[in-house]
Amino acid sequence: MEIYAQAIVNGILIGSIYGFTAFGLTLIFGIMRVVNFAHASLLMMSMFLAYGVTRTGVNPYLAILVEIPVLFIAGYILQRSLIEHVIKREPGVREPMSVLLLTAGLLVLIENLALVLFGPDYKMARTAYFGATFKLSGVIIKTAWFYGLIATLGCYFLVNAFLKWTRMGQAIRATGQDRDAAQLMGIDHYHIFGVAFGIGMALLGVCGAILVPFYYVHPAVGWVFGINSFIIVILGGLGSIPGAFWGGIIIGLIESVGAQFMNATWTIVVVYGVFLSILFIRPAGLFGLRQEW
Amino acid sequence: MRRVFMAMIILCLAALTLPGFAVQPAQAESVRIGAVFPLSGPLAPIGGHIKQGITIAVEDINKAGGIKSLGGAKMEVVYGDSTGDAKVGVTEIERLITKDKVCAVTGAYQSGVTLPMATVAERYQVPFYATGSEDSITQRGYKYTFRSNEKTSWRVRDQVGFIVAMGKKYGDPVKTAGLVWENTAWGQGAHRDWQKYLKEAGIEIVVDEPYPHATTDLTPVILKLKKGKPDCIFCCSYISDAILLINTIAEMEVKAKAVIGLSGGYADPNFIPGVGKNCLNMFDAVRWEPDFPRPGIKEINERYKALSGVILDTEVMKQYTYMWVLAEAVNKAGSTDPKKIRDALAGLHLKAPHPAVQFVEDELYFDQTGQVFAGSMVGVQFREVNGKIERVTVWPENMCRKGFEPIWPMPSK
Repeated sequence: MEIYAQAIVNGILIGSIYGFTAFGLTLIFGIMRVVNFAHASLLMMSMFLAYGVTRTGVNPYLAILVEIPVLFIAGYILQRSLIEHVIKREPGVREPMSVLLLTAGLLVLIENLALVLFGPDYKMARTAYFGATFKLSGVIIKTAWFYGLIATLGCYFLVNAFLKWTRMGQAIRATGQDRDAAQLMGIDHYHIFGVAFGIGMALLGVCGAILVPFYYVHPAVGWVFGINSFIIVILGGLGSIPGAFWGGIIIGLIESVGAQFMNATWTIVVVYGVFLSILFIRPAGLFGLRQEW
Repeated sequence: MRRVFMAMIILCLAALTLPGFAVQPAQAESVRIGAVFPLSGPLAPIGGHIKQGITIAVEDINKAGGIKSLGGAKMEVVYGDSTGDAKVGVTEIERLITKDKVCAVTGAYQSGVTLPMATVAERYQVPFYATGSEDSITQRGYKYTFRSNEKTSWRVRDQVGFIVAMGKKYGDPVKTAGLVWENTAWGQGAHRDWQKYLKEAGIEIVVDEPYPHATTDLTPVILKLKKGKPDCIFCCSYISDAILLINTIAEMEVKAKAVIGLSGGYADPNFIPGVGKNCLNMFDAVRWEPDFPRPGIKEINERYKALSGVILDTEVMKQYTYMWVLAEAVNKAGSTDPKKIRDALAGLHLKAPHPAVQFVEDELYFDQTGQVFAGSMVGVQFREVNGKIERVTVWPENMCRKGFEPIWPMPSK
């Protein structure tokens, strides 16, 4: 019985982290209608940044303080200097295809740059959280996973509050709902896109900081999480923030609890099975409404 | 804005011309050998190390006078990057054969990538000197496939043999086994052979778990080990999963008499830094270790360490000898015609002292199927030596590092 309790706890904890890796992706899509294929490699870069911070010997979670501003600015610049030009080439198109190709190209570029800059070796941050666990009535909880859950919930509420109650947040939501109407109201939607991309990247930054204490860093590490985040985003509903959260938990639970009844390789079949049936029943995804927030 | 755009484009182009992907300029009289390995992707570390092993070997070959029968022609290696993907591996070997006109190809570390590549080489009638361990690589009746590393079944036979010998020696035998294996060609082969050899040894399999290669999380698999409580955990993993698996076993407090790897990820130099003390006292079964009592190993290990920063491991040593064997074959053929090189390889018989064999065994020749009879594996234990974790050869007794005794069973932490 204890094993099943353990499996459920593990599933929820790792699932919330899966959901978090998809957070930035779904946010950017919700506002800009852009599928950011470079997501996986940007996650990898944020993990390398967090790894660099842990090398100085400070608490690995302090990396969040570095990650947020650096990645926000990087995201804003990336949007304004690169993606914006491509969006402008397809005026009036709500979901520009060429941006997809651009971000796919960025994915290859960034991954190979990382291979040159950091080398192909696997790096593991040696911090106090490496292998640290605590017990809660017989169930082992990985400390780093637990902090991951807290960070996920924290960021979830912060971003929601920001979108609901600040002027900028309202402008972002307005742009996401109707770009043209927002423009008519005097909102500079390219600036909004920049901010949205920046927030998406900053979330990836936090994500990097919570992954590094328990996961290895490597130029190809983005792929390991990247594929999952795309499934989660579509499962939960493209552009939906609660969708990303619950989508992550669902996949985490299927992998963890499902594996107690079948081979771990079969759980992937179940994940895709659930994925397809949800798409069949609700093509917009679990939480995918036309107008989010 | 435009300038930033231009800068990105230039960076793009720069990334395409990285050393790993570049085709080196051809020299008129050089002998070109193709090498396809995972130089990027999750297996990039081992691919990079193998490449450095090739570099040392080619340096030695050319310093020793190159290919003598071709007037001292230099050996030159053209690399292909499989990215760890069979489809890419096939495209790369095809490119090396048709476009770069290599006279022989070696690769590809992973069995799952090696198998389809061998088929391509067979079709073009170019010798393919394979490094995957899956048995079937040299059992398909191919004329152009050669291999001098051990088969998976030999690895498993000796791995099980080692565990049985330890149990007997210390009067604490293993009765139940838990199998954890990655689900590509290599792991599937290991699984097949475990079923055979564990049954012969009278060990019951209580947990039998495949998992997808390069996965995010292995706790679900580890929980099954915790539930099944096997005496010994047998693992077959590539590097990223090996790190994850051993760390998770420690975190989830799984206890066993022994945990043993099957080379691959466990023999990768990235493994020890990735898991730290979590690997202490676990075992591995491997073909070659730098602490073997054979002449010249210390010197070549020092040279390799200076180049790469890590110790020479079994994969890199294998590749070093492979390059020498290929050089000897071209020398014997006296030509860069792939068919003549194939015939030369088939009839090759090398004896120590020769850099192609002396570090590993006494002689080397291929049988009818293109397979070399490699010697047996050794048992290795991860031990603390002068405050650092090292792989120490502990079995069989004549190969055991001086001053070391195996610790059996693994003390529970």
